[in-house]
Amino acid sequence: MNPVGETCRFQGASQYVLDDELAKIVNVSIALEMPLLLKGEPGTGKTMLAHAIADSLAMPLIVLNVKSSMKLLDALYQYDTLTRLNDSRFGDSRREVSNIEEYIRMGKIGQAFVSDCRTVLLIDEIDKADTDFQDDMLDVLDQMQFDIMEIDKTITARNRPVIIITSNAKKDLSDPFLGRCNFHHIAFPDPEMMRLILNVHFPDLSGDLAKACLNAFYRLREFRGIEKKPATRELINWVRALRADPDFDLKAVEKGELPYLGVLFKKSVDMNLALQQAGKARK
Amino acid sequence: MFAGFFYMLREKGIPVTPTSFLRLQKALTLGLIGSVDDFYTAARAILVKSERYFDTYDQVFAHHFKGATLEDITDVELTDIAKALLEEWLKSPKELAEALGLDEKELAQYTPEELIRYFLDRLKEQKEAHHGGSRWIGTGGTSPVGHSGHHPGGMRVGGASRSKSAVKVAMERRYRDYSQEGPLTELQMGEALKRLRQMIPHGPRDVVNVEKTITETMRNGGEISIAFDRRLNDRLKVILLIDNGGWSMDPYIEIVQTLFNYARSQFKDLKIYYFHNTVYSRVWLDPQRHLRPEAVEEFIRRDPDTRIIIVGDAAMAPNELMWASGSLYVGETENLSSEERLKFLARTFRHAVWLNPQSEASWHYTWTIATIGKIFPMFELTLDGLDKAVQRLMIRH
Repeated sequence: MNPVGETCRFQGASQYVLDDELAKIVNVSIALEMPLLLKGEPGTGKTMLAHAIADSLAMPLIVLNVKSSMKLLDALYQYDTLTRLNDSRFGDSRREVSNIEEYIRMGKIGQAFVSDCRTVLLIDEIDKADTDFQDDMLDVLDQMQFDIMEIDKTITARNRPVIIITSNAKKDLSDPFLGRCNFHHIAFPDPEMMRLILNVHFPDLSGDLAKACLNAFYRLREFRGIEKKPATRELINWVRALRADPDFDLKAVEKGELPYLGVLFKKSVDMNLALQQAGKARK
Repeated sequence: MFAGFFYMLREKGIPVTPTSFLRLQKALTLGLIGSVDDFYTAARAILVKSERYFDTYDQVFAHHFKGATLEDITDVELTDIAKALLEEWLKSPKELAEALGLDEKELAQYTPEELIRYFLDRLKEQKEAHHGGSRWIGTGGTSPVGHSGHHPGGMRVGGASRSKSAVKVAMERRYRDYSQEGPLTELQMGEALKRLRQMIPHGPRDVVNVEKTITETMRNGGEISIAFDRRLNDRLKVILLIDNGGWSMDPYIEIVQTLFNYARSQFKDLKIYYFHNTVYSRVWLDPQRHLRPEAVEEFIRRDPDTRIIIVGDAAMAPNELMWASGSLYVGETENLSSEERLKFLARTFRHAVWLNPQSEASWHYTWTIATIGKIFPMFELTLDGLDKAVQRLMIRH
């Protein structure tokens, strides 16, 4: 029995390497119609997952980037008072000034609700907003409807979107919020997994280079005192930089030399620390 | 189904709710779960809402579904523990010597590696469980080596985090790093400190205020009149006083550095001073506490709304705190005791807190911590403590 249906089963996408565990969780969440909350270190592919799901299920992706000052209303709809004011003043548009509905613009959640087909709604970095926002938003997502006060109209979701929520900080979200989500923590990929990820991005990458890079990369992550550890994105960029360099010498990396460290370390303090420790390691 | 499993999770301290349990039942009836592997993943996603509990979940799962029994602590795990303990040991050589049944002088001859080996050997020799007592390694004793001992900041050996063997995945204990007692990361610190910012309008009026524009326009009889506001800017003044002296703060250097880095990026108006153990007549702008001293009395000239954050373990000999001549530095003459100085700071600045990297449970063992705690509201240097401290600093008196 397969109640999810083949059309709605997530199996990974061409740019995203999916582990079995996560695939199961995504599928269970879709079937249970529950939002999926993803936590994990930056660079573990939380945001990428939503893109991959949208790709693989052929649904449009709607991204709500949460900001600290954001109010729930902004995510649902906006009443464009300024345009209406302007129209009423100058009257040079074709909009009907007395019809407020013409000045209602859907926010990201609103767009997902009124869309004609099922969408993937990515709510990115939910932890940036305050607790009230989080709880209220989950109410809306639970009931799949919200009211537009200005025109006294209720918007009900035509299709229940697939909701993916990401959170960066380890700061806890509120209990009612967590109660309504499924949860998964994406661990940092191990070298084997990382190799697969590299393969997806560089199908023609030679084994030696991949091995040397991965060795160096995981060694760098072990360095002490680094504030922002290099993550998947940095590794991919680093490999790209190494391959673009015509003078690049694979043996040097194997020996422990680390060209283009700036691609991996984004903070000057980290960079200096890495240089020091890399120097020590070579001796 | 699986009610026993559910209750065992609860018992082990994972906050699982009945609603989520019902949801798991729904997933089961929907036919989404076809194997134990599926169940492991689905149940975790549905029931467990924080990676901090993943490790416990793994253990309960392994125990429940494979009847796994408690296993002896493996060598690998032990070495990890032993390494973590070393730091603790070096702090109190005397107690360590006692715990290992060695003379302090003998102890001094061991290198750290030898100490670890010695510790491991001792642990293996010990055949029966040992609970209580003060010399051996076990649980509930007063020895610093062992779990739930009353030694301040004592590390855990075995106890709650003992490993079990069973279902392979669960066995791997991939989530051990996330379990609850993890240290405070810079990310969390940034989150907590962010709330300290005090946004005040400042600078040119260059932001349109829509609400006000509408009101003004109506008042103007429909003639558009656009209202501008100043941008919000952070004007909060913060003074951070850091205890960077002596071995007692050494284990916390990393965490304090993180706090320091974050404070620097968060606050525009931040002054950082250093002191050793406690505040006397001077504090220093340079971490070496040598070149750029500043008299504490001068602080009275600062804005009384400045937020003072003092970071230190507040542990010292009582006379350092109470005697006017108690200063650690020979040749320094003081006319006021450090206690008076601290009281002066607390009087001058209404918003002041003391952050203590030692765990709160150990505070009442040290007399000076309690005394300083009466002068400044004291909080643990953990996410929770930082949260409370920030709340305290933001109170409008």
